[in-house]
Amino acid sequence: MAVEIARAKPAVTPDSNPGDPAYLKIRDLTYRISGIYHAEEKLYLLISRCARRMTALGVASPSEYLEHLTTRGNREAELRLLLNEITIGETYMFRHPAQLDALRNVILPQILQVKGLISLKRLRFWCAGCSTGEEPHTLAMFLLEEKDKLLAGWTFDILATDLNDNSLEAARAGIYGEYALRNTSDVLRRKYFKDVGGQKLQANDLLKAPIHFDRINLSDDSKMLFQKGIDVIFCCNVLIYFDLASKRRVVQHFYSNLLPGGYLFLGHAESLFQVNDAFRLVHFLGTTAYWKPTAAQAAGAKK
Amino acid sequence: MKAKLHAQLQAQIKKLDSISAAPAILKPLLDMLRLPSDKIRVEDVVELISYDGSIAAQCLRLANSPLFGRRQTETVRSAVMALGLERVRSMLFGLCMNRIIPQDKWVIAPDAFWRHSLGCALVTQRMAQKIEYPEPEKAYMAGLLHDLGFLVNSVLYTGDFRECLRLAAEQHAPLHVIEEQVLGFTHCDAGQMLCEHWGLSTELVDAARCHHDVSLLPAAGPLACLVHLSDLLCRTRYLGYGYDEIMGVDLGSDAAWQTLVTTYPALENMDLVRFTFDIDGAMEQIVATVDAVFGAKSIAAPVTT
Repeated sequence: MAVEIARAKPAVTPDSNPGDPAYLKIRDLTYRISGIYHAEEKLYLLISRCARRMTALGVASPSEYLEHLTTRGNREAELRLLLNEITIGETYMFRHPAQLDALRNVILPQILQVKGLISLKRLRFWCAGCSTGEEPHTLAMFLLEEKDKLLAGWTFDILATDLNDNSLEAARAGIYGEYALRNTSDVLRRKYFKDVGGQKLQANDLLKAPIHFDRINLSDDSKMLFQKGIDVIFCCNVLIYFDLASKRRVVQHFYSNLLPGGYLFLGHAESLFQVNDAFRLVHFLGTTAYWKPTAAQAAGAKK
Repeated sequence: MKAKLHAQLQAQIKKLDSISAAPAILKPLLDMLRLPSDKIRVEDVVELISYDGSIAAQCLRLANSPLFGRRQTETVRSAVMALGLERVRSMLFGLCMNRIIPQDKWVIAPDAFWRHSLGCALVTQRMAQKIEYPEPEKAYMAGLLHDLGFLVNSVLYTGDFRECLRLAAEQHAPLHVIEEQVLGFTHCDAGQMLCEHWGLSTELVDAARCHHDVSLLPAAGPLACLVHLSDLLCRTRYLGYGYDEIMGVDLGSDAAWQTLVTTYPALENMDLVRFTFDIDGAMEQIVATVDAVFGAKSIAAPVTT
């Protein structure tokens, strides 16, 4: 059945054959290496990304391209280029409304309840691998909109980090075009941005205030150990570039960085399967996240 | 459940038979639902379908739809072959239920109900295969039939059940919790009784009865546990009852999961995130099937045989 669906999709390029088993091998390879998964019915997406790389390389068949990814000398570089293609266009504001709904409806009420007991009414968020800043700005808008409602009486800050200086510079400037703002309503645009001409909008001081940008290499153990007391971490499409051992180390750091009761969000097709056993997978409406329960929550859930 | 309420509900379920003429094929179809699909003869299915002109037409239309590659299917037999027994069986069952329930009695929209039921059937079956449960076919049926109680409540308690759905949607709450508050019983109680009334197997009855009650699940057996988990998964992937529920579910700590793991250790190694994405992939197919069989277009289309 799945194959029938795949076949029904229009062919991506004249020479790409969606039924070619090499694509399933490429799918399994990218999943094993990066944790990004394509269900069979979504294979056409992967095929179109491969097609771009195949055109660039002048490669005719998917099995030949598979060789480029597995046996050729430049395979690691090629895999990175393919992953770039897979995640391209992933960053715009409000890209994952289901994550924000989960925050609003389940996660924040839960965290506020746990932390409210110890009267430290402060929340810390971390966007690890924030690239050009769409994610922290989205989160800041979301939290500012909840300031007088769910978060009345609470303060919050967002740590936004990346390894790439150019990305960080762009994130700090906070200037965005129509693509990045495609899901941002007019009301929010007026409230949190100013027009800087050339059909660009720039984050205003109100929006920038809760965000603190910093350069952090997630593989730098000494710097990772230093991050403490985080409530929610977002790390979308970053770990996909790490090998398994580094991935394990970073995720273990995240676990320590989080307060008990905290959550880790990954990109929407990423998985921590066989990467980490300490986190608990939680399903929300339309999204999943990884949870570090408090001792009481862990005992309650197991009852 | 309180004995008096139980007796009342049971008397009401008996009335279901007279509410509308059940299609003649319902009885043989129910017999067929109890068999694993390799025990079913294609000829019997073809005969059953050919009894009923409009069902036969719908079957052909589905087989000829773009979903199945627009095959030029002209006979019921080739349509059954094209669609596969599993799909034909659940489609027949759905069409029968649509016939039994008067149009104005549907409280949950028919397409939402069938998306959830077919979705749950598929997820239960796939999960059964993953954990190496020996009878995935039976798992499919348990998923398909687990929410029949909603249909009972729709027909027999239309007004009150409509209020349940309104409140549940307003509060983004699970429907069975609101049913308990408003009706004093849930679709699990009603479903159990309908399944018993139809003479379905104890396992199918238990799946309908226990799928929302984690205290009953450890004793209810693997099928009820699988249905419970599939139901939760479907509801988190927008295959619920037509409204958005507020949910945060740690499936690995669920009583049903813990129970299953002791007998089916393969569950421990299941990649649940990958499984979830696979469900999302299959969802398009489920939605397309439901739209083709139960959608407004297919009901409005002229019947030609």
